[in-house]
Amino acid sequence: MQQEYILQSFKGVNEPTISRLHNLGLCVGCRMQVIQRYPFHGPVIIEAHHQRIGLRYRVFARLLAEE
Amino acid sequence: MATVALIGNPNTGKMTLFNSLTNKYEYVGNWAGVTVEKKQGQLKDADVTLVDLPGVYSLDPLTKDESVVATYLMQNQPDLILNITNASQLQRNLLLTIEALELARPTVLVLNMVDDLRRTGYDYDLAILQQRLGCAIIETNARSKKGVADVRKAAIEYRQRPTKRLAINYPPMIEQAIRQAEEALVADYHYSATTAHWLAIQFINQNKAIRKYATDKNLQPLLSQQRYYDQQGFADRIFAARQNFIEQTIKAARKPVGNSHDHHLTSRVDRVVTHPVWGPLIFALIFFIMFKLSFDWVGTPLSDMLDGFLSGPVSTTANHLLIQAGALPALRSLVVNGTIAGVGGVLAFIPQIFMLFACISILEDSGYMARAALVTDRLMQLIGLNGKAFIPLIIGFGCNVTGIMAARTIEQPKERLVTTLIMPFMSCSARLPIYSLVVAAFFPRHQALIVLSVYFLGIAVALLVAKCYQVAFHVRQGSVFVIELPEYHLPRPDIIWHGTWDKGKGFIHKAGTIIFAGTVLIWFLSSFGTSGFVTDSTRSFAADLGRWLMPLFRPVGFAHWQVISALFTGILAKEVITSSMMVMFHTSSKAFLIAALGPFMSPAGAYALLVFILLYAPCFATMATIKQETGSTWWMIYSMFSSLGIAYLVAFLTYHIALLIV
Repeated sequence: MQQEYILQSFKGVNEPTISRLHNLGLCVGCRMQVIQRYPFHGPVIIEAHHQRIGLRYRVFARLLAEE
Repeated sequence: MATVALIGNPNTGKMTLFNSLTNKYEYVGNWAGVTVEKKQGQLKDADVTLVDLPGVYSLDPLTKDESVVATYLMQNQPDLILNITNASQLQRNLLLTIEALELARPTVLVLNMVDDLRRTGYDYDLAILQQRLGCAIIETNARSKKGVADVRKAAIEYRQRPTKRLAINYPPMIEQAIRQAEEALVADYHYSATTAHWLAIQFINQNKAIRKYATDKNLQPLLSQQRYYDQQGFADRIFAARQNFIEQTIKAARKPVGNSHDHHLTSRVDRVVTHPVWGPLIFALIFFIMFKLSFDWVGTPLSDMLDGFLSGPVSTTANHLLIQAGALPALRSLVVNGTIAGVGGVLAFIPQIFMLFACISILEDSGYMARAALVTDRLMQLIGLNGKAFIPLIIGFGCNVTGIMAARTIEQPKERLVTTLIMPFMSCSARLPIYSLVVAAFFPRHQALIVLSVYFLGIAVALLVAKCYQVAFHVRQGSVFVIELPEYHLPRPDIIWHGTWDKGKGFIHKAGTIIFAGTVLIWFLSSFGTSGFVTDSTRSFAADLGRWLMPLFRPVGFAHWQVISALFTGILAKEVITSSMMVMFHTSSKAFLIAALGPFMSPAGAYALLVFILLYAPCFATMATIKQETGSTWWMIYSMFSSLGIAYLVAFLTYHIALLIV
């Protein structure tokens, strides 16, 4: 039951975090699977390009342009 | 002698490869301007120096540590660059590779962890990769030593590598900007064409280290165009062009091999370990076991044995030899009571510290550490820190020194500094003996409860102070918490040993010097008085100091010179407080001391004393570590005085509130 998402935008994410996400090969249009979500807007684990990355919920929501 | 530089992303097994390539390595001081240790090694049986650069994702630095790599590549001309990559994550590893290849130095690309890659059901056609990237490629699996010999051979044959620059098709506007800047830099500033080209790309790509370099050197061709570059969004377009190149390359070179059993182990372990409910429970269990191992099952018994050996046979033998040699009583006292007792007291911590570091190394090497940081991030955000600060703080309960050293894993310098500064409020195990003495004397019926309340007060103060620093340092701005969760690996003993030794030896080497100096100072103060050398410490300078400071401590409830002098010696090491008190009260029995303390102060004063001991000043070893890790004497002094101030304030408040209640 892994959900797949497309990275929509980096809007509202701070500069160093964008750099780090770029470093990890994440770009707009990238596919990412959600491996684990923690309750109460806790961290989110995604998988992209065969690697697992832990993110804060706030950053994750912005990548999906939900916020 | 030839120099080979190792660069690569974090979690690529670079360290493992470095350790298997070299037979000995050393830390040759720090990199210029930052407190990152420079690690160099000698290639086995060859006249080649290997320089291990910090693991980075790109040459554009986010942290001070990362800036080392860009600066190194700009100012040094290594004979060969060994770029270590994680084969199963080649896509993102190639971003750094491109930056290195644009430098046009002889480069060899190492595809490490190929076994992990094949487990995902893919492999790369090396000929295609070599042709597209224009550099030699070697496949390795450093953990099982596969391919290490090939890398060694490549390092020795560095002269045979071509120096071809990788040319990526950037958009015409950018190509033109690069060309113009390059020509001006060559003509006006006498850079070589390749260096100028690389500088121009890095500058346009908003590399912070290079922009600072350009400003320092006043490179007008770049600086005058900076606004134009940024307005046109060149950096994003460079990133897009590189991504495009990487995708094409990978698509062309990737070939399926057999069935994918895509990281079965990692998925299965992660399902439990990062579970919202089981995750935190497992986390707590692992840390409980780690503490038990370090401070109960293995570490402490060994420490006690070492302590017994140092304070028993070693001390007696030294004393005996000195008497035979006819040494002055003062000299004998310096060696036996000062050096052996003081330095020995600190050395006795080594088994505990090494045990703890071994546990941490196992957690790091297996890949669990990143998960632990993730699980605790939410909690730490409340005080403006991130999950990576939680583990060091927990370790601080064992020993502040190890805790501060464990804070190295925090990327953000400000967050690391805050973690370091609040560390002394974590009640380390060395404070326990004096707590138990005081509670036995004053709170015999609620011992555990009182000690627990002291621990929690320490945490509360740490959180409050961290919150203040968060506001003062603007920590939240630019807080980054993006954490890579590496594949799980079975820890390998030699890697654990290397990790443990690397972490622990700093404690022996560097802290040893300041502890020695401190020991001698405290010994001097407690063995000399206005009348010269004294055997009765109640007539020593320390006692005088205690008496002199007495009025200052009246408002906090424990105005007794014996206690104050003992606190002073506690700066050396917290466990010394108890023994100092025994000396000051002329007793060698704990029971007698407990009885003697009773009439000296009220329970309110005693609780204020506990609070003061909890907070008042980091011990010498901790101060030495603060200096070493922050790279500044100022922070060490600041830490001492700020905790002194906080301790006085909180003890004062506690005393007066307690007086109202009791």
